[in-house]
Amino acid sequence: MILEIKDLRFGYSKRSPLVLDGVNLELDKGEIGVLLGKNGSGKTTLFKNILGLVKPASGNILFKGKDLLKIKGNERAKHISYVPQNAEFGSLSVFDTVLMGRMPYFGLRSGSSDEEKTAEMLKEMGMEHLASRNVEELSGGERQKTAIARALVQEPEFMIFDEPTGNLDIANEQLILKEAGRVAKEKGIGILTSLHDINQALAVGDRFFFLKNGRILYSGDSSIVSKEIIEDVFDAKVNLIEHEGKKVVLNY
Amino acid sequence: MTDFKDFMENIQAVLKSKRKKLMAVTILFVLVIVLGFICLFVGSSHMSFSDCIDALLGTGSPASVRIIRNIRIPRVLAAIIAGAGLSVSGLIMQTNLNNPMASPATLGVSNAAVFGANLSIIAFAGGFLSTGNNLNSFSVGANPYATSFMAFVFSTLSIILILGLCRLRSFRPGVVVLAGIAIGSIWTAATTILQFYATDVGLSAAVIWTFGDLGRATYKTDIIMAVTVAVGIVFFILMSWKFNALLSGDAAASGMGVNVNRLRFVSMLLASVITAVCVSYLGIIGFVGIICPHVVKKFLGQDHRFTIPACVFAGSILLLLADTVSRSMGNGSALPVGAITSLLGAPFFLIIILFRKGDRA
Repeated sequence: MILEIKDLRFGYSKRSPLVLDGVNLELDKGEIGVLLGKNGSGKTTLFKNILGLVKPASGNILFKGKDLLKIKGNERAKHISYVPQNAEFGSLSVFDTVLMGRMPYFGLRSGSSDEEKTAEMLKEMGMEHLASRNVEELSGGERQKTAIARALVQEPEFMIFDEPTGNLDIANEQLILKEAGRVAKEKGIGILTSLHDINQALAVGDRFFFLKNGRILYSGDSSIVSKEIIEDVFDAKVNLIEHEGKKVVLNY
Repeated sequence: MTDFKDFMENIQAVLKSKRKKLMAVTILFVLVIVLGFICLFVGSSHMSFSDCIDALLGTGSPASVRIIRNIRIPRVLAAIIAGAGLSVSGLIMQTNLNNPMASPATLGVSNAAVFGANLSIIAFAGGFLSTGNNLNSFSVGANPYATSFMAFVFSTLSIILILGLCRLRSFRPGVVVLAGIAIGSIWTAATTILQFYATDVGLSAAVIWTFGDLGRATYKTDIIMAVTVAVGIVFFILMSWKFNALLSGDAAASGMGVNVNRLRFVSMLLASVITAVCVSYLGIIGFVGIICPHVVKKFLGQDHRFTIPACVFAGSILLLLADTVSRSMGNGSALPVGAITSLLGAPFFLIIILFRKGDRA
C-alpha cells in the first residue's frame, strides 16, 4: 500500500468535537481513491492532516510503511503533492508558478535542471503556449491544469486533489478528470481526491470512501456504490440506474 | 517544429520579463543612491552646492562640516534604512496575512510604541526629559534613548502578546488581523487615558513625538536600525519562493513542503521588530508600508524574488522624497514626515489602483 491511514482522530481544539473520528483508509499506487461525503464531513481536514498542515490527536498516516508525521515537510513534498480547489497563485507567470513545484528540490534558488523539468512538464501538459502568461489571466480550467502541472513537477508518487472540478464548466471538468486518470495510469501515481459529483467519482474512481461525521462508513470498489449507501451518507433521496452497463446517480 | 518554436518563444518571453523586472529593481537602486546624494544638499540652513561639497570633503567651515556629517548624513541614512524596513515589512505582512490592507500598523506595533513613548514622556518626564514651560524647548532631551527604549519595549511586548495569542489558533490570517486590531485599540485607549492626565506641556511633547521625524536619527540609531532591517531583508529574500507559495494558500504551500506556521511566525516577528525599531527611534511614519508594496506589485506582479528588493528601494525613495519635502516646506523646522509620505504617496497610489488594469506577471 502506498498510503495507509489508521484510526486517525483530529479536532481543531481539545474541547471541540472530533472532525475525524477514527478514519481508516488504504490506497495502492496507480489507484484513484475518491472521498465522498457531505460538506463538513471532514474531507479537507483529512487532506490537511496528510499534508502536515495540522497534527492529528491520535492515529497514524503511513506512506509506503513510513510514519508520514515523522518525515520533514520538504521530504514529504518530494513524494506527496497537492492540487487545491479553485487554484489561486498570485500574480505570477505560468512558468514560475509551475517552477515553484520544484521548491522541495532546490530550496532557496532554482537551478537549470529545475527549469528544464518545468519546461518539460509544460510541454507534457500541452501548456507551452501559456508559459509567459500571467496565471491570473487564465481560465478556470487552465488554472487547474497549471495546479496539476505544478503538483506533477514535484515528481510525486502520491497526489491529493481537493475538489478539482469545483466551479468548472463541463468541458473543463472532463479535461481535469481525464488528466487525473492519465496521471494515475501512465505514471502509476496514487491519487486521493474529493468529489461532490458521484457520477464523476464513478467515472474515474477505483476505490470509494464514504465519509460521514468524521468516519469512513463504507469503502470498496464501485460495486459498493448503492442507492442506500448514498442516501445514508448524504441524507438525501436519489435514484440509481444502470446506463450502458454503468451506474448513474439521479439527483431526484 | 512550430510547437517547439512557439515554446522557445514563450520561454524567451519569460526570460525577457525577468530581465525587465531585474532592470526595474536596478533602476530603483540607482535612484536611491542618486536621491540620497541629492538630499544631502537640501536643508534649512541654505548651504550652497559648493559649501556642501566642501563639507562632504571635510574642507568646509566647521559649521557646514558639522551640518553635513552630524545632521544630514545620519538623516539621509535614516530615510533610506527606515523607508526600506517599513516598506518591506508591509509587503511581508500583506503576503502572510493574505490581506491587501495589512501593514506594520496591523499588529498594533505603532500604537504600542506610541503608548510606550507617551508613558515615558508623560509619566516619567522628570527622569527622561529636559523640559520647560517653553514649548519650543521641547525635544527628547536629557536622555534621548529613554523614550525610544520605552517605545521599543512596549511594541515588542505587543508583538509577543499578539503572536503568542495567535499561536493558539495556528496563525490563521484572520485571527492575526483581528487580534492586532484588538490589542492595538487597547494601546490607543491607554494612550488616551495617559494624555487625559498629562500637563499641557507634557501632552504637547507626547504628541510631537508621534510626528515622525528623521531629525532624531544619529549614527548610533542608524546602525541599530540598519542591522535589524538588514537581517530582516536577508531572511525575506531567502524565503522568496516560500512567500510565493503562500500566495496559493496554506494547504498548497504545505503541499510544496513549506512549514506554513513557522514561516508565518518568524516573518511576522521580524517584520514587526523592524517596524518597532524604526518607529521607536523616528516616531510614526505611516502609509509607507501600504503604498510601496501596492505600487511595486502593480508594476512587477507578486514574485517575491523581485518585489522584496523593489519594495526595499521604493520605500527608501518615498521616505527620502518625503523628508526632503518636509524639510523644504517647514520654514526652518521640518514638517511631520509621516504626513508628507501620505500626501506624496496617496495620490500616486490612487492613480495607480484606479487607472491601471490588472497586475503584471
